[in-house]
Amino acid sequence: MITKTAFLQTSETDPYKNLALEEFLLMNCQPGECILYLWQNRNTVVIGRNQNCWKECNVSRLEEDGGFLVRRLSGGGAVYHDMGNLNFTFLVRKEDYNVDRQMNVIIRAMEHLGIHAEKNGRNDATIDGRKFSGNAFYETGEHCYHHGTLLIRTDTQKMSRYLQVSPEKLKSKGVQSVRSRVANLCEFCPDCNVELVSRAMRQAFGEIYGIPAEDFPMKRLEKSMLEQSEEHFSSWDWKYGRSIPFQHELSCRFPWGEVQIQLDVSGGIIRMANVFSDSMNPDWTQTLSDALEGQPYSQDAMCTAAGELPGDIREDLQLLIRESI
Amino acid sequence: MTYPENLKYVKSHEWVKEEGDTVLIGITDYAQDALGDLVFVNLPEPGDEVTAGEPFADVESVKAVSDVFSPVTGIVKEINEELLDSPELINQAPYDAWFVRVEQITDEEDYMDAAAYEAFAKEEAEG
Repeated sequence: MITKTAFLQTSETDPYKNLALEEFLLMNCQPGECILYLWQNRNTVVIGRNQNCWKECNVSRLEEDGGFLVRRLSGGGAVYHDMGNLNFTFLVRKEDYNVDRQMNVIIRAMEHLGIHAEKNGRNDATIDGRKFSGNAFYETGEHCYHHGTLLIRTDTQKMSRYLQVSPEKLKSKGVQSVRSRVANLCEFCPDCNVELVSRAMRQAFGEIYGIPAEDFPMKRLEKSMLEQSEEHFSSWDWKYGRSIPFQHELSCRFPWGEVQIQLDVSGGIIRMANVFSDSMNPDWTQTLSDALEGQPYSQDAMCTAAGELPGDIREDLQLLIRESI
Repeated sequence: MTYPENLKYVKSHEWVKEEGDTVLIGITDYAQDALGDLVFVNLPEPGDEVTAGEPFADVESVKAVSDVFSPVTGIVKEINEELLDSPELINQAPYDAWFVRVEQITDEEDYMDAAAYEAFAKEEAEG
């Protein structure tokens, strides 16, 4: 039974730091306690635990724009976060974990803002069938969390700029995103902002659990654990190197001939590269295939691998790589 | 809900089947039922070390990820690759759908027999 509630809102907007704090709260939540944590990430795509980032997100576009790519611990699909979005996490022990009750906090908070919201079959919250809150879940032993987004005034153009429909020629294992029609709360409540929604969430949290939420005592945080966790979330291995194997085929017709590059990628590394071409002197295909194998699946590493090829072919292939990856 | 007699069980809802000096590890009928339809399983690689009481794999149902804990300390000898393409096998036949085979076992959790685990799972289900 929940006998203690605690509330924590951070002004940090670095996604790796925010996920580290979330994991810390997860592992340090006490029996009988429920913590509500509110946080915002700036310009970030967050993918589900078992997703292929290259399939779900236009990684190079996001990185060019200075955005962050983050892999969370929970399941589900890719979402876009900016400062018009507020994230919430309920952290609780397994015996008190109750998705319906936690969802009721969201529905109640919306009532306080004069909005009638509903829960749908995928545990998302909607208004008139449009999703404003995507939810996901993680459980490790006795420790659980339920987190989600609250779209208040998110830039939906950027959302579609980064969350792409997966490239046709990329075939991957892993979990695929489900597209939803989304809505921003400001469409239904013009005065809505992050501060108002945060206040409504805190109030609703206290009401649903019948205990006004105290501020989470910051002295409970442990710097070394937070740093360790931040390092993990921002590491190449966690973001890109998860063992979700996939195949990607790049092909194009150039004045000098047609080329096809088949890549087998696992753990973010090109394990096998087959290069085919009908050009006049296709000796370079083996050179390229050898140079690609063992390289990370990234624009820069692959363009470098193509660096040894004859002039025209090199330039065309580097362009193809930049356009496809 | 079934609890085969020839298996050993741990509190985190995994089963262990001893075969020579190796063991097979999977999740129980109770666990798969509580998790719902699985859409993905993430397994370690052969040669990886697993530690008793620590997560070694994870399973995903609709938007929910749960860690799977190892009942033993040892080295992964083999993984059940079939599960990578067909995680639903875990729901269909949880005691056939082994996750990993572990060898060089140096430590293990406290096991329960089928009857003890059945009583434990029933108690947990009633909350």
